[in-house]
Amino acid sequence: MRSRDKELLELLDKSGANLYALLTRLTLREDVAEELMQELFIKLSHSRGRARVANWDAYARRAAINLAFDWRRSRKRVALRLEQVREPASNDDSPLGKLIHSEELQETLDAVGRLNRSSREALVMRYIQQESYDNIAEQLGKTPHQVRALCSRAVIHLRDVLGSNHRKPSEKEMHNV
Amino acid sequence: MSKIDENEIRTRLKRLSQVEPTRQAADRAIQRTRRTLMNEQEQRESTAARIRKAILKGTVAKLAAAAVILIGLGYVAGRLSAPRPLDVDELQAALESSLKSSLEPALRRELLEQVGERQESAFAANLTALKEELQQQFGRDLTEFAQTLATSRTLTDQRFRELIQLIEAARRQDRLHIEAALEKIELNRWHDKARLGNGLVTLAARTNELRRTEQN
Repeated sequence: MRSRDKELLELLDKSGANLYALLTRLTLREDVAEELMQELFIKLSHSRGRARVANWDAYARRAAINLAFDWRRSRKRVALRLEQVREPASNDDSPLGKLIHSEELQETLDAVGRLNRSSREALVMRYIQQESYDNIAEQLGKTPHQVRALCSRAVIHLRDVLGSNHRKPSEKEMHNV
Repeated sequence: MSKIDENEIRTRLKRLSQVEPTRQAADRAIQRTRRTLMNEQEQRESTAARIRKAILKGTVAKLAAAAVILIGLGYVAGRLSAPRPLDVDELQAALESSLKSSLEPALRRELLEQVGERQESAFAANLTALKEELQQQFGRDLTEFAQTLATSRTLTDQRFRELIQLIEAARRQDRLHIEAALEKIELNRWHDKARLGNGLVTLAARTNELRRTEQN
């Protein structure tokens, strides 16, 4: 077995659960997360620039984020399977409340997908993965101050995108109402 | 005004961060990924083994392998049978001094010859250029002189003609003056002759008168 394959198996043992959780959060579908997990490791296995990567964990996480948003872009809105998502923070356990929350999450993720790559990665690591600014800065090769600014701008951009979505209901929606 | 503020966005992102897959699903995904990776490795290894096998089966490959082994053996034998390893520094110093002693005079001579040739060729080129320039200058001077000469000849002819005309006019004027003077002299002579004749007549008359008086 080559050293590259050994490294990948070690990465899978060490960070597989976290990567799967990240993919699930970004796709909101466990089955898709499972597929993307395989795709991620096959990509890492075939990656030519692997010798130059210093931090495999960070590299795999960024690749997973990009893979998930590529999938989101490739598909239009996918219906959320509510039974696969646990939301401990939610107080509203009614089916309608879950539906509303899941719609909001999809909408938010779609808006995150419209950010540029570095902002998206910083935002996901900070707010979805709950990592520290220092840790994110190390992974992205930036200073903590730059990461903080990136996240701040990303949230403002999200507010604008989501706010405009709320302000301007489409004609189709109006018609349906 | 946006209806969604930043707190709402942060709340949504926090809800996303709290999404957790089930433990079974995570284990299943990891196991499946592991199997996929292992299968891929096996497939890769078996493909490489097949390729190696296919290569080794061929006659050409066998011959090539034999040739490689022979070359390797020859190289090893050569290295082992060599008297002693070459001292690279010593060899370099010897080569350097040898090359210096043999090449330096030749290089110097060649350099001098090249410099001399270059100077000669430059001088020849300069000489040719100078000659051409002098010829051109001489030609230009000759042309200019010829033009000046032609102009001066024309001018001289003109001056001669004018001088001749002046001389002719002067001679004509002199002739007129002489003619006038001769006419005046002739006229004076006639007058003198007339007066002399009259005087003689008077004298004769007076003489006769005096004689008659004396006679009387």
